[in-house]
Amino acid sequence: MLTIPERIIFILMFLGLGGLTTVLFYGIYRIIRAGNPAPVRENIILNIGQALIDVLLQKPMFRSRPLLSTFHAFIFFGFSFYFLVNITDVLEGFIPGFALIYGGQGILEPLPNWPINLFNLVADVLSVLTLTGMVAFLVRRFIMKDKRLKFNEGVLLYEPVKKGWVNYDSLIVGTFILIHVGSRFMGQALRLAEHGQPDPFMPFASLVSIPFTGLSESALTAGIHITWWLAIGLILIFTPYFARSKHIHLMVAPLNIGLGKQNPRGELDPAIPPGLPEDAEPGVKYLQDLSWPRLMDAYACIMCNRCNDVCPAHSQGLVLSPAAVEVNKRWFINDHFVDMAFRNQFPEAPLLQWNISPEAVWSCTTCYACVRVCPVGNEPMADIVDIRRRMIIEGEELDSGIQTALESLAKKGNWFNKGSRARARWTKGLDFKVKDVSKQEAEYLWFVGDTASFDARVIPNTQAVARIFHQAGVDFGILGRAERNSGNDVRRVGEEGLFEQLAEDNAAALKKAKFKKIVTTDPHSLNALRNEYGPFVQDQLEVLHYTKLLLALFEDGKLTVQKPLTQYKVTYHDPCYLGRYNGEFDAPRRLLEILGVEFHEMPRNCENSYCCGAGGGQIWLGTTPPGERPAENRIREALSVLQPSSNGVSEKQLLFIVTCPKDMIMYGDAVKTTGNEGVIEVRDIIQLVEEAIQPPVAAEAPAEAVAI
Amino acid sequence: MNIVVAIKHVPSTTDELELNEDGTNLDFDEIDFLLNEFDEHAIEQAVLLKEAAGGEVTVIGVDVIEELDGVLHTALAKGADKAAKIVGDIEPPVSSHTQAKWLADAIAEMNPDLVLTGVQAVDDLDGQIGPMLAAYLDLPYVGVVTGVSSQNGSVLAHKEFAGGVMAEYEVTLPAVLGIQAAEKPPRYAPISKIRQMAKSAEIEEFEVDEDFEYEGCELRKMAKPESAGHAEMIEGDPEEVAEKIIAILEERGLL
Repeated sequence: MLTIPERIIFILMFLGLGGLTTVLFYGIYRIIRAGNPAPVRENIILNIGQALIDVLLQKPMFRSRPLLSTFHAFIFFGFSFYFLVNITDVLEGFIPGFALIYGGQGILEPLPNWPINLFNLVADVLSVLTLTGMVAFLVRRFIMKDKRLKFNEGVLLYEPVKKGWVNYDSLIVGTFILIHVGSRFMGQALRLAEHGQPDPFMPFASLVSIPFTGLSESALTAGIHITWWLAIGLILIFTPYFARSKHIHLMVAPLNIGLGKQNPRGELDPAIPPGLPEDAEPGVKYLQDLSWPRLMDAYACIMCNRCNDVCPAHSQGLVLSPAAVEVNKRWFINDHFVDMAFRNQFPEAPLLQWNISPEAVWSCTTCYACVRVCPVGNEPMADIVDIRRRMIIEGEELDSGIQTALESLAKKGNWFNKGSRARARWTKGLDFKVKDVSKQEAEYLWFVGDTASFDARVIPNTQAVARIFHQAGVDFGILGRAERNSGNDVRRVGEEGLFEQLAEDNAAALKKAKFKKIVTTDPHSLNALRNEYGPFVQDQLEVLHYTKLLLALFEDGKLTVQKPLTQYKVTYHDPCYLGRYNGEFDAPRRLLEILGVEFHEMPRNCENSYCCGAGGGQIWLGTTPPGERPAENRIREALSVLQPSSNGVSEKQLLFIVTCPKDMIMYGDAVKTTGNEGVIEVRDIIQLVEEAIQPPVAAEAPAEAVAI
Repeated sequence: MNIVVAIKHVPSTTDELELNEDGTNLDFDEIDFLLNEFDEHAIEQAVLLKEAAGGEVTVIGVDVIEELDGVLHTALAKGADKAAKIVGDIEPPVSSHTQAKWLADAIAEMNPDLVLTGVQAVDDLDGQIGPMLAAYLDLPYVGVVTGVSSQNGSVLAHKEFAGGVMAEYEVTLPAVLGIQAAEKPPRYAPISKIRQMAKSAEIEEFEVDEDFEYEGCELRKMAKPESAGHAEMIEGDPEEVAEKIIAILEERGLL
């Protein structure tokens, strides 16, 4: 089809632009490899294979925004198939007479028709779907101006990002896709017009061909040439732009997912990258301090801001945007590309000046929602924790509340500034003695945690847990004064040294204690003990959340419901560190079922649960940032599903059930500040258990049915 | 500038205080010690001065319960250059006067340009250490200082008076200053730096002057406060509460 000069131009373009693209991609590879080491990735081939399958099924996309994800799937399938289509286009250009229409022409004629017809049908339909998807995206961005594509006011943006380059890039990419796919589709339509008859396997192209059938042969030939160049020539021109554009996500994203975090979600990467000397500075200050997966994140990011949607800080209107972390990174790399890729020169510009503001760094609750929702496997939260680590070690000014908490934790081992002798004081309210596992052997070591030990609002629940364990005959004990804060949030604040000190102290106490398993009422402690104590203890600790133990007690008949709690209409909040981090969703829900309450799920549940706003040290903050706090937002969400129908028939008491001591505090406050006292009440699940296992008549002696 | 910070290890008052058997003082075996809060500010002010004007900061204290090392390591992690402690046959309580004498003996050997110390402490609320230190060293003293800046051969000390009156003293060196607050809140010392100091730092030791005996007042009895009455809770809606308050005030002739 192509003339000789056209062929020469194409080959020269292919060599020139292809060569340039290769050099640029090599540059990207060099930049990513210049990052610090990360924990070694194992089974790379298998993982990338799995990632490709997931991407092929578009699984990571459908974690949120189902409608937009559907449009994305159109473009994704269209574009993937176009790899094959474009090869046949080149063949059409270079092999005289070669064409796909009508089941294949030229050298294709001897071949069976059906595979080519099928190919044509798929290409035809996908072309239309891709164009539909792309138009939908452009309309959403430029006409409907979807707010989710914007950043909160005050979010630190790198200069080109501030100038709107994300939008310009989107426009360039969108236009490219429309012209590329549109031209290829038109080219086929024109070929059909040349023959003047429709191809039943190319329904859309046949339809479009009708108005062109009357055109002169020369006009059609010119049209076929022009559309060919607009489809195939354009790709060649576009390929070098990949290196600058977010569109490169289509190549990097599957790789990024395949090379993603392999240790548990609840285990942060080491503060000093593996392989660096022990006295290296922990954390990151400059771009080049980031580990290579964090640099790859910048290339995987398609700047969709899904992370912003689920971020409790961003939703509150604060200046933290996990998306901006990646977007800024990418444009910064673009601006210094040649220096970084080919001259080994990295700019001495601290991340805190252009990537993320200190205020934003200290707004992160480390809830992991941004990482979980990211369809391309990015971990902006990891950047934030690493930045905190370096800020702490360099003595940057800290929020007064966080500093006070850290100093208390350093001196006293808890953030309540109480002496360790006071830690087991809550047991004084019990009419039996709780074992001290450093002296007496017990099956379960109950790791109580700071909040449950010291906070007056939570202690009644702590005592209830003890009473129920005792009543059910659980052989348990506590570490008492030897227990320290587990260090989970200390580590997430970035105080690695203090985390190590606390973990070592706890490990020493655990070593002396005689027990089989750990049970804890605190999801934060559960996470640290289960996922981050590996370097400090000899054997992997078996750590159970109390809801799991309670469920087992019910299933074994050690606890029985005497009085189903049908008077309650409840919803349940998954704590980040129990649910999203450690995948435990079932036990609390099973318990609620056993207890006989009327249960309603909130829209954001399980993996997609919404943070209460306490984690990552936020509960220690000395200041209250403006805006609707995450816990307040959550209480309103709960009420939206629990509100009795307008006729008011159901007059059950509304409860917001929690299984984390910090939630008790956060939501207890939020109920008050949203003016919902008397409308809904926050209760720990243990309060329901205690109520349900009592015999119906309260005045009677303890139930004989309870096995001791 | 050669700056010495004299610090004090004091009983922690955040826990419940236990008394000893004869009720003459606290039960020091049952009580945690921590660095006097005002000394934290003195250390911060010294490090700020050093950062602004150069020099060296030495932190010294009496090792009352043989647990001062952690405090000194923390000071080093915050930016002090040297640490020293006064050791010997020491039993708590050690009076402020005695501590001042022991500290003065050691500090005199250091030829300081400036001595900073917390203006007071939980067990020294009348702020004795600073003035006595100055007296023993025969140096001028300015107390209740809330900021120090260095000039040629002297320092400018900001001092607070009652009623929000502020004064600025030009103090010729050497001198002793009692610090009420540093210009900035005391910085956080990362634990890994403290641990590093614990491994590498050397702490200079001075022996106590055992011949010195403080002849002042003696503590004869210490007791827990007894509650002498109860608060009356006024109940009702805001209007009712306000009316009741007015009635009470009128009843007592206060309105």
